[in-house]
Amino acid sequence: MSNLLAVRDVSYGYPGHPVLSSVNFPADGGEFLVLMGVNGAGKSTLLDIIAGLRAPHSGEVLLQGGSLGKLPARERSRRISHLPQGTRNELPFTVEQVVLMGRYAYADRWFESDEDRTYAEDAMKRMDCFQFRGRLYSTLSGGEQQRVLLAACIAQCPHLMLFDEPSTYLDVHQQLQCFSTLAELAREGALCIAVTHDLNLALAHCTRLLILDRGTIAADFAVEEAAANAEWLPLLSPRLRMTRTPEGRPWVLYQ
Amino acid sequence: MKGVGWIWASAILFVASALLLPWIGSGSISMERVLAKAAPDYPIFVELRVSRTLLGLLAGGALSLTGSLFQSMLRDSLASPYTLGVSSGAALGAVITFALGLDRLVGSPAAWAGAMAGAAGVLVIVAGASWKRGQLSGVRLLLSGIALNSICSAFILLIYSVVRDRRSFSITQWLLGSVDSVSYRALSVFAVVVVVTSIIIITQARGWNLLAVGETWAGSRGADLRRLTITGYCCGSVLTAGAIALTGPIGFVGLIVPHLVRARISPDNRILMPCSLLLGGVLLAACDTIGRIAIAPAELPAGAVMALIGGPYLVWLVRRRF
Repeated sequence: MSNLLAVRDVSYGYPGHPVLSSVNFPADGGEFLVLMGVNGAGKSTLLDIIAGLRAPHSGEVLLQGGSLGKLPARERSRRISHLPQGTRNELPFTVEQVVLMGRYAYADRWFESDEDRTYAEDAMKRMDCFQFRGRLYSTLSGGEQQRVLLAACIAQCPHLMLFDEPSTYLDVHQQLQCFSTLAELAREGALCIAVTHDLNLALAHCTRLLILDRGTIAADFAVEEAAANAEWLPLLSPRLRMTRTPEGRPWVLYQ
Repeated sequence: MKGVGWIWASAILFVASALLLPWIGSGSISMERVLAKAAPDYPIFVELRVSRTLLGLLAGGALSLTGSLFQSMLRDSLASPYTLGVSSGAALGAVITFALGLDRLVGSPAAWAGAMAGAAGVLVIVAGASWKRGQLSGVRLLLSGIALNSICSAFILLIYSVVRDRRSFSITQWLLGSVDSVSYRALSVFAVVVVVTSIIIITQARGWNLLAVGETWAGSRGADLRRLTITGYCCGSVLTAGAIALTGPIGFVGLIVPHLVRARISPDNRILMPCSLLLGGVLLAACDTIGRIAIAPAELPAGAVMALIGGPYLVWLVRRRF
């Protein structure tokens, strides 16, 4: 039985400027991976490659044992969704129209079916944006917009969900809600991979941590081992210290 | 689906314009005489009024649809055949054929070929200048489009100054952007081109919606980016070149109609694109009719009427919307 996702020897870069070199890891449904690393470590590039938006210069990405590069775009998008960073905020569409875009890979007809609308509605309720479904996207706050984009990714119903800094612009409560939802999606059987810089948010919700350092995977461990393997912390900053909450969960202090 | 009614309404307006506008003009035409095929009413009606109206409807529709297409593809509300330099390129190509004396007739095969070559040439240069690391940058595209626009205009002026005979008069007339009567053969070829390319474009409306959000967004929702980009630029330049070869550089319709429809009717390209196509045609044909009667017996080119009515409206719209 092959893994849902297998990243094999993936390298990417330009002459004299390697971005990723020989990245290897497998992952399966049910896991919630958090990908961390300093700015420019190659996190977004790796997500783009796993999403099939960029082809690796060498190596390959396998999805359920098959090569990702060989999948047609629509077929790929029924299995993988990707939340990009820095989507422009001047979209002329309503919230509902943006969320329904998540159903592009399914609808063969000119307009979306009732089934598509049901998925979109559920996703909007899940991301707490159903109440402003009729509003213009451009009139929402940054955090509200981010939730709408997340809802579109969820409405796409993929096995593999990639999120590039999903909690950007969200208020504290919404950040927690967002990560709980991602953890929930993973418990329902999806594989979620998120890039974030918020250590404690990650430690409180994810099942596994990947640390990317100068284009290679420098650490890969289950979240339960995070406290024991504290040597990965300096890869992110020298000013971090590992402790535990009274309940025994790992918790990182800033110094 | 909300908004489909607007497509029907636009279609009715389009058909009504085709039926009614030819009857309006500086000289009155009697319906009885036209039906009896009596001169001079019948030849004026058929050879001049009807063909002008049809050309206005088709060219206005082609340019507006291209405007809404480019605005979605480039995620820029300034994008239009005019701002990308495509219409100037087409104009330059057509002017060169006039200057060489290949053909004097507006809408002749030579002018079409010239316009098509000019539009394609500009698009290749502009896209080439804006292509970096496998992606098109909207800002580069617009800036190089504006640069190409000026360069083409300069060449047109140069050719215009060098050519000293009767030909310069036909160039002037054409450059004003007027909807003049053309042969029915040219019209029917153009009609086929508009219908086929519009169908290709409009059936991809959901793809253009995705591109209007972003390329990464579109790619991960399942859109085939390469196919969409190539289809969009090819269809857009074919429509622009066809319209420009017949009417001269009428740029404004491609900017104003998509904005109007987006603001008033729907931003969803499934509604926006058909409405732009139909209403753009109605607007240009109506402007041509106004130009025909406003200062009769002289005529105001449709492009000028469009600018005088559309310009203030766009300023007002921009003030309200942005």
